[in-house]
Amino acid sequence: MKRFLVLFLTLALCIPMFASTTALADSKSLTVYTAFPEAEVIYYFDKFTEETGITVNYIRLSAGEMLTRVAAEKDNPLAALMVGGSTDNYIAAAEQGLLEPYQSPELAATPEAYLDPTGTWNPVYVGAIAFACNKEWFADKGYDYPTTWADLLDPKYQGEIIMAHPATSGTAYTVLATIIQLMGDDAAWEYLAQLDTNMSQYTKSGAAAPNAVALGEAAIALTFSHDGLQPTAEGYPIELSFPTDGTGYEVGAVALIKNGPADEQENAKLFIDWMCSTAGQNCYAENDSFRVPTNTEAVAAEGLVTLDKVQTIEYDAVWAASVKKDYTATFEEKITSAPEA
Amino acid sequence: MAKTVGAGGKSSARTKKMNETKMIMRQPILLVAVIVVIATLLLFVAYPLIKILLFGLTTEEGTLSLQTLKEILTSHRYLSTFGRTLLLGLIVAVISTFIGYIFAYTITRTNAPCKGFLKMIATLPILSPPFILSLSIIFLFGKQGLITKSLLGITSNNVYGMPSLIVVQVMSFFPIAYLTLSGILESIDASVEDAACNMGASRWHTFWTVTFPLSLPGIISGCLLVFIQSLEDFSNPATIGGNFTTLSVEVYQVITGSYDMRKGSVLAILLLVPAMAAFLLNKYWVNKKSFVTVTGKPTQARKPINEPHIKYPLFIFCILIAAVVILFYGTVIFGSFVTTWGYNYTPTLMQYQKALAYGWSSMKNSMILALISAVLGGLLGMIIAYLTAKRNYYGKGFIEITSVLMFAVPGTVLGIAYVLAVNTKPIILTGTAAILVIVFTFRNMPVAIESGTTTLLQIDNSIEEASTILGANSGRSFRKITLPMLRNAFFSGLVYSFVKAITAVSAVIFLVSPRWNLVTSKIYTLFDQAKYSQAAAFVTMMVGILLVFIGIFNTLINILLAPRSKKRKPTK
Repeated sequence: MKRFLVLFLTLALCIPMFASTTALADSKSLTVYTAFPEAEVIYYFDKFTEETGITVNYIRLSAGEMLTRVAAEKDNPLAALMVGGSTDNYIAAAEQGLLEPYQSPELAATPEAYLDPTGTWNPVYVGAIAFACNKEWFADKGYDYPTTWADLLDPKYQGEIIMAHPATSGTAYTVLATIIQLMGDDAAWEYLAQLDTNMSQYTKSGAAAPNAVALGEAAIALTFSHDGLQPTAEGYPIELSFPTDGTGYEVGAVALIKNGPADEQENAKLFIDWMCSTAGQNCYAENDSFRVPTNTEAVAAEGLVTLDKVQTIEYDAVWAASVKKDYTATFEEKITSAPEA
Repeated sequence: MAKTVGAGGKSSARTKKMNETKMIMRQPILLVAVIVVIATLLLFVAYPLIKILLFGLTTEEGTLSLQTLKEILTSHRYLSTFGRTLLLGLIVAVISTFIGYIFAYTITRTNAPCKGFLKMIATLPILSPPFILSLSIIFLFGKQGLITKSLLGITSNNVYGMPSLIVVQVMSFFPIAYLTLSGILESIDASVEDAACNMGASRWHTFWTVTFPLSLPGIISGCLLVFIQSLEDFSNPATIGGNFTTLSVEVYQVITGSYDMRKGSVLAILLLVPAMAAFLLNKYWVNKKSFVTVTGKPTQARKPINEPHIKYPLFIFCILIAAVVILFYGTVIFGSFVTTWGYNYTPTLMQYQKALAYGWSSMKNSMILALISAVLGGLLGMIIAYLTAKRNYYGKGFIEITSVLMFAVPGTVLGIAYVLAVNTKPIILTGTAAILVIVFTFRNMPVAIESGTTTLLQIDNSIEEASTILGANSGRSFRKITLPMLRNAFFSGLVYSFVKAITAVSAVIFLVSPRWNLVTSKIYTLFDQAKYSQAAAFVTMMVGILLVFIGIFNTLINILLAPRSKKRKPTK
């Protein structure tokens, strides 16, 4: 008993040795939470470090987890920046008072449609909703890729369409909001109910939908172009098709976290400026990110479908964020709680 | 032998409790132990949970409100999710414990061949992050599955849903039942069973009248532990559940998808209720019976069952289960050597190079932190088991309940509770390694406590009493008598904590920091990016390293805790 207790106490007393916060106190470091895929984000951070000498310490989370974490750490934020993830997260974060407004001077070449009207977050990439199709499946069946929203209702796709659940995935919510903006409330719910009969499942995470298409579990994923192409970097056979009757898009952002580490504030602003600049956004073309730059002077990757070639609608992210709760609740009530066919 | 202690009057029970409390007050070591344990539990279990509870039941302005709770309790959707979660837990608990029992019985009672192999199979599934099994089932039985498509030509198979979830959860959790039960079965005195046999009872009769009743506490604990694991499991239902949602997934969705941490907290509280009920049931049921079999009287080595008609059916059952486990893990290993899992099967070693380059430092972090927390948790677990199994004093109830509470809290909620609790003054631990060690210790300790307690309940009080009468103080009695018997329990608790710490996913997602990133959050990220082969390589390496570690643990513990008598000179 005594030996156990002594041993336990000795070990327990060792814990404080690990309790020192390891964030370096000099001004050459920057701590961020990021929703970019890890392999991709390392590329940006390395480039940034190369140019500025500032080391970036990061944690990669899904966009929702990132926001949750920032909210939970509200009283003592560990990170100075939120990097990546669509603007609905940033709008929600700003509403909860989690963000420090900052607008980069590098935003001059960014179209106004992408900018934050409240001046809190900074847009850094954009991507349209696409139909991510499994090449093999379509070749096998001899079908053409769907090109309109109505095409998806074809019974030949029964159990082959996949998207995330709008309540849990920002991507899926953008799909939902796009359909509503495109068709109007009543027609949209009717459409979604019909689409539901072809739906394989509503996945929990946004990335799970294109991944299921990569693995052949479904033929078509409704997702952002850059997410849909992500598995192709691993060699999976996916090709994109965009609805010709109009599609929504997401703007990805970066923003300062309110009351983040004081010694990192300047570095954080430097990073935002860099990420908004052509130097930062030229990276998208170099690292299989499949992202479209928001800075019109930056170079898009060869072969990448940029937004001017896609029939985009005037997607209203602020409106979408403001009605998210109601629409996801309605989605649950009308679509996912409906009796299984 | 199974003596029923007559329930005394309420007042005499209270007097007894009072007396025992006084007795503890007089023994400084015990007193310190009780105080230390209560203090740590208050700080690291009660406080975070109260924090999240209050968070769930207050409004933005901080006033008490039951609005969210009412909303959830009247929602058909949440209630049916609740029901489904319980049903799943029940089914998985029963099947897992059944399989675990057969494995434990075959290994401890028969001389069936390949017992070492069976032992390995029965512990393997706890060595890997659970979602890897979900992925295996997709690769084997999905639309492009190796078995369904390539072997049987079926392409319309829907692998997502409850049946797959049951299979995957049973495979992930039956080792917990096995570990609990093998400890119990081993500690049942061989002479009891032999006596029954010698008196002419058939093996079957002996089993049902002697072995089975004596192993009942283990069966109940096994069921309880598996049930709770199934309730709080997040990664399997999230990967393979399809449209079948469980409560822990719902909690995660509400928090990270709808950004509604309040509703999430209330749902989490809802999830705690059945887990607590399971715990109380266990306590009530197990403690009502006396399971004394280690009496101190001379015992002989167990005679293994050799009858072919008993041995072989059991063996075949185990081998079938083993085949399924191997099939699933084989798929993972196979997948780690191909270029693009599920699509391009060109063999390659590239995945291992990538995985090493990408995650070696996080692997090292996981090992270090898991090791520290496993030792801490194992020790604390044994102390708590010792403090609660046989004594009764004021404060014991608190220790008993809080010490196992963390086990039942869904990982996501646990993570958030800790962030809420240790990110404001006076305690700021976020971003440190300490927070991870603490979470692992308290989350995984209940297994050590459970196996410690069940072991202790089997030891007749008279042994320790005899030791005390002969002049040993309680510390000495503990060391010489109880400790060696706790060795198995300590070991299984330690291994479990270590492994669970390394394979934990949802609990750490909100707690890892740039300096202390962990291997599972790296693997989780690989899944998100469809880098399945690299994830498989990662998991294969992890299992390999864990096996080595467990081997080292095993040897170390045998050396450290070997009975002293061996070293002593034969003469006085």
